[in-house]
Amino acid sequence: MKGKAEALRGAGRVMMEENSLDKLRELVDFLKGNGIAEFDIDRPDLKMRIKFAGTAAAPGIDASQLAGLLAGAGGATAAHAKATAVAGAAAEEKAAEAEKLQEVKSPIVGTFYESPSPGAPPFVKIGDQVEVGQVLCIIEAMKLMNEIESDVAGEVVKRIASSGEPVEYGQPLFAIRPR
Amino acid sequence: MFRKVLIANRGEIALRVISACKEMGIRTVAVYSEADRNSLHVRFADEAICIGPPRSAESYLNVPAVISAAEIADVDAIHPGYGLLSENANFAEVCRASNIKFIGPPPEVTRMMGEKSTARQTMKKAKVPILPGSDGIVESEKDALEWAKSVGYPVILKAVAGGGGRGMRICRTAEELPGLYQQASSEAAGAFGNGDLYMEKFIERPRHIEFQVLADEHGNVMSLGERECSIQRRHQKLIEEAPSLMVSPKLRAELGATIQKCLKDIGYWNAGTIEFLMDEDGKIYFIEMNTRIQVEHCVTEMVTGIDLVKAQLRIAAGEKLSDIVTKPVAITGHAIECRINAEHPEKFTPSAGKITAFNVPGGNGVRVDTAQYAEGVVPPYYDSLIAKLICHGKDREESMNKMQRALSQFVVQGIHTSIPLHQKIFADAEFRAGQFDTKFMERFFERQNKTPPPEEGHFDPNEPIR
Repeated sequence: MKGKAEALRGAGRVMMEENSLDKLRELVDFLKGNGIAEFDIDRPDLKMRIKFAGTAAAPGIDASQLAGLLAGAGGATAAHAKATAVAGAAAEEKAAEAEKLQEVKSPIVGTFYESPSPGAPPFVKIGDQVEVGQVLCIIEAMKLMNEIESDVAGEVVKRIASSGEPVEYGQPLFAIRPR
Repeated sequence: MFRKVLIANRGEIALRVISACKEMGIRTVAVYSEADRNSLHVRFADEAICIGPPRSAESYLNVPAVISAAEIADVDAIHPGYGLLSENANFAEVCRASNIKFIGPPPEVTRMMGEKSTARQTMKKAKVPILPGSDGIVESEKDALEWAKSVGYPVILKAVAGGGGRGMRICRTAEELPGLYQQASSEAAGAFGNGDLYMEKFIERPRHIEFQVLADEHGNVMSLGERECSIQRRHQKLIEEAPSLMVSPKLRAELGATIQKCLKDIGYWNAGTIEFLMDEDGKIYFIEMNTRIQVEHCVTEMVTGIDLVKAQLRIAAGEKLSDIVTKPVAITGHAIECRINAEHPEKFTPSAGKITAFNVPGGNGVRVDTAQYAEGVVPPYYDSLIAKLICHGKDREESMNKMQRALSQFVVQGIHTSIPLHQKIFADAEFRAGQFDTKFMERFFERQNKTPPPEEGHFDPNEPIR
């Protein structure tokens, strides 16, 4: 831990008192516990950059808890703080909503269709429970119909894309409340 | 003329094509990877579609993703730029099958000229001089000696099954040939399991000369003169210029006419470049053809006044060359281009990251093609070219002086660039005299290692401003 504090001191050019060091340890533990891969803060009183090697995805962090730790670590008001937490592969800046919904995003470019064919009932309705691997929709690309499977199990809360709409790579299609 | 064009590329060339389209009233569609979300080519296109994650293989080289984007955007044509999918015959075929016009030659021609031996045969048949080669295995030392005698020394022995410099020997005299033949053959047998060798004429100090061509889809072909690209490091061009000091008007006219006939015979369409090596005696030999627009097309534009990208669009839309280039091609003045790369100017390590200051030089005869900007990000996933600085003057001396002035005002902070390297090259006596060849950079580095570092108070515009 001493080695880490040295690195933080060097990176942030901040003189640390024993009390602040404790707060920083808490911050580091909090970040690690929530699977944050990278953490960057740029404030008038504190500049810090932490990078952990290889963590699992953690889409939701408790923003209020984080703000509290930051206030303790730096001692200045949180008003000017600009903290960005990147959580592994599932990086979402706006991820921490009260709902904790997970978006299913388009893996390809094409045209979104909610039903297997025109006039047929849609693959899923709002409120349906879906499993990982269950087909949610079709995206047509180059005259081929690609079945898009859910990567999360839970309840379909929102259908974000409209049938017949062109979608790009990474575009949100559905919002699912994970089980 | 096309209503809408998709640009299957990124960076400065994507912006170049988008700009040409805008000037012609054509709607533009940009495609981008997640790493390029804030790129200028995305910002300045009329529509933009994200096609994949940062890696090129999953985005810019992803044929289904590009074609799918073209379909949902309902475009008439795709401009492939340079690199990426521009010389991919399979991609051109998929475009054709999808009823989207590929702005370039037909896939069959791309395929033919992309294959080294068929390209050589095609040129040979058309009486374009090619680098003499044994065109087959040299069975014995005796055969090797005979062949070398007919072609003239120096020659190079190469492994048929090989690559990476193994099984290769340069031979300068008949005395050393038998021994070198044995060495090359054993090395090749050891490295590739096949000791067969072929031979080629070897040029000690070649100059790289290339010719720009335009061809319409009605059988008309035109040569727009040459560029010299001898300033290279590890086979990557750093500086290009037009015209070449080594090409006389007579050679330009003769070679231009020969190329014209050859490309007409093979049914070439759109823009292309034919690359040659020139030996110490001024003899010129074909090495390969690039069936696309090139990075350094700008120097030709500056000396001829012809917009090559607009010509590409008009040719693909079916126009005749005589309506696009209405006067005989005249070379006026001299133009030089510096490729500004995001890399350390001495270590050549790539320098990705955020640009914190970006001041682009301007002025009479100074052109900058770039898609970077202050606060812009250079991602680590793609090639390091971030800008092209082109200066045009009434002669080589004036363009070099303009380039020095422009380089001194080109400020890029936050990343390393090759600007300081270019500044040193333009102060170098051998470069200024124009008496160089493709080994120039090796000699330049040797000279650099011998000179002491600059004295105190030396102003470097790329030092962070305090």
